[in-house]
Amino acid sequence: MTTTGFTRRSFLAGLGAVGAATALGGCVTSTGSSAGGGSATGPVTVQSNLSAPSAKQAMQALIDAFNKKGGSQASLNTVASETFRTQLPSYLTSSNPPDVMTWYAGSVARSYADKGLLLDVSDVWSGVTGYSDALKQISTDSGKQIFIPTSYYFWGLFYRKSNFAKWGVSEPTTWAEFLQACETIKSKGVTPIGLGADNSTPWVASGWFDYLNIRVNGATYHRELLAGKHSFADPQVHKVFDQWKTALPHFDPKGTALSFQDATTNLLQGRTGMMLIGTFLLDTTPKEDVDDIGFFRFPVIDPSVPLAEEAPTDGFFASSRTKRTQQTKDFLKYLTTVEAQEAYLKSSSGSSLPANPAAKDAGTALITKGKEMLNKAADLTQFFNRDSSDALQPTADAALIKFIQHPEQIDSILTDWQSAAKKIWAS
Amino acid sequence: MTATLTAPAAAPPSPAGPRRRRRTLSPTLLAFVLVPLLVETFWVFWPAIQGVYLSFTSWDGVSPAVIVGFGNYAELFSDPTFGKAFLDTVLWLVLFGGLSALGGLGMAMLLLKDRRGVGFYRAALFTPVVFSLVATALIWQAIYQPDGLVNTVLGTLGLDSWQHSWLADANTALYAVIVPALWRQIGYVMVLYLAGLKGIDPTLYEAATVDGASRWQQFTKITLPQLSSVNSVVLSVIIIDSLRSFDVVWALTRGGPYHSSELLSTYMYSTAFQSLRLGYASAIAVVIFVLAFGVILTYLVRAFRDADA
Repeated sequence: MTTTGFTRRSFLAGLGAVGAATALGGCVTSTGSSAGGGSATGPVTVQSNLSAPSAKQAMQALIDAFNKKGGSQASLNTVASETFRTQLPSYLTSSNPPDVMTWYAGSVARSYADKGLLLDVSDVWSGVTGYSDALKQISTDSGKQIFIPTSYYFWGLFYRKSNFAKWGVSEPTTWAEFLQACETIKSKGVTPIGLGADNSTPWVASGWFDYLNIRVNGATYHRELLAGKHSFADPQVHKVFDQWKTALPHFDPKGTALSFQDATTNLLQGRTGMMLIGTFLLDTTPKEDVDDIGFFRFPVIDPSVPLAEEAPTDGFFASSRTKRTQQTKDFLKYLTTVEAQEAYLKSSSGSSLPANPAAKDAGTALITKGKEMLNKAADLTQFFNRDSSDALQPTADAALIKFIQHPEQIDSILTDWQSAAKKIWAS
Repeated sequence: MTATLTAPAAAPPSPAGPRRRRRTLSPTLLAFVLVPLLVETFWVFWPAIQGVYLSFTSWDGVSPAVIVGFGNYAELFSDPTFGKAFLDTVLWLVLFGGLSALGGLGMAMLLLKDRRGVGFYRAALFTPVVFSLVATALIWQAIYQPDGLVNTVLGTLGLDSWQHSWLADANTALYAVIVPALWRQIGYVMVLYLAGLKGIDPTLYEAATVDGASRWQQFTKITLPQLSSVNSVVLSVIIIDSLRSFDVVWALTRGGPYHSSELLSTYMYSTAFQSLRLGYASAIAVVIFVLAFGVILTYLVRAFRDADA
């Protein structure tokens, strides 16, 4: 038997040392402001939650293209999105964080910025041309830009064009027309409205709440409500659910038992007529069906309310504790270029719109129509969790799923929702 | 954890008492005791103490924690979701624990005698234990789908009115989750009981048969008393497994719909990592710890006192 330098005792001593080191790391809740560890050299570390195979590949292609330019270098680390979400606070508060992280615009990014955890990327923004003011607005926190949007997408009521043609249904624009279309589809023996809000994707139901609220009460009220300035038990919110009740009989009764992927299958196979969903529906649609997919804007309920649309924006932010500030900014700058955004869209499924208007999108009729819809929109909202917080999302899931199953209990549902939300806002 | 607990059941009690040999401890031996203790302290005790400390704070994982005293514990009392999760956990303990003990014992009795093919049945019952619970949950998720196996079978039998969205219906979700958990646990408990049953001296039964004891008498007067040491192990395992049941519930329902299948463990997780209220979640964790520790400690103390007597 050969002897190695590695003995059991040294192993145990090593274990002990590791334990001691973690303990010396101090109290778990401490958030020291000084940055320790990490070196100023080496590639920019990019922590990505784009773990779907096509998106992961697209990210890698993007990083490779950046590295080929010969300037600063970057390296990619992809993490499952659920892990990423729960670990993000740890990434940001660690003394040696990843330099760049994928995230989305909205209040979550702002709350991190308020705590001084995000790098001020205003000078990256100042060199960017063509980005819309709306995008700049949602990337700004107290006068500084802290977020680099790279793409956005839209929500709408998706349907199969061939089925609508077969049933003799045309795209409704008002709520009355919408209900009429539902009646027609129902008369053909098909469930008019599909839903995929089971325990794995309950947040899909929030799309309905968001859209009904911005159509009934407007985008400003919606944002204020999510920020805790109004109560979910307010009469305005009751109005939203009264409106929802008129369409609820047309919903798939199994909608809260299906994942959104299963609901997509139902839509594609003609078991349901339409579904309120984001363009990511196209990611799971077989290629031969994509051209048959159409969408229409969420119907108008109150013509006096300015038309706002949901346009969730994705992108990147950087840690304020990065040691590689210049390289990080170089990388973020690259992400805003036409070249980078086109490269990314080409490798991914092409269901989103590039943030840089000079970059070409997928160019399909559906994407072009969506882009026009957003350009004409009076206001843009993100999505429930993006306009509020990931912490508030579960309260909405509980309330909305219960409403869909037991609409008669709406009064108690809304008071319960308000008391659950209050705890989140207070903490 | 469970492996160490099962050990005393499998090994017959040592006939000789503890050896008492006076000897100074060698430094090596001391190191073998102290180093693991140190590691345990830093990796287990220290985080546990941190957890208790956190339960007295309000912390979102990013900002500095704020001490709130007993605020989190006071909130537990007025939190209807916590109350629901607590009752569900008790229900889980009773149903999951009780049925797996009964089922495990029943299966062990049934499969005790060596008959043709009995090895196959034992293996078949034990197989679910080998699967990860998350994989198990995926299988059962497919079974419970609106168009899944359960509803299809009910439809074929003409019981259409019994068809349900099992996991999405607040009335059935918790029970629908208990079934896969039981499916797995029964095999495990069966193996524990099989080991115990094999250890019973067959002459006891022979004597009882000669005395004209009925099957039931043999069971209550011989089998059950002889199994008392295994019972304490099974009970500990069941209580620990019930209170830490998380994976199967999370994978199937995430505590939903609207908290109807919420256990303390899932509520703790969602409070910590979805609502980012780590202080409050720590308070829930402390409650779980006290429950598990309290129940097991009282039982073990009593069991060992009985054993010593």
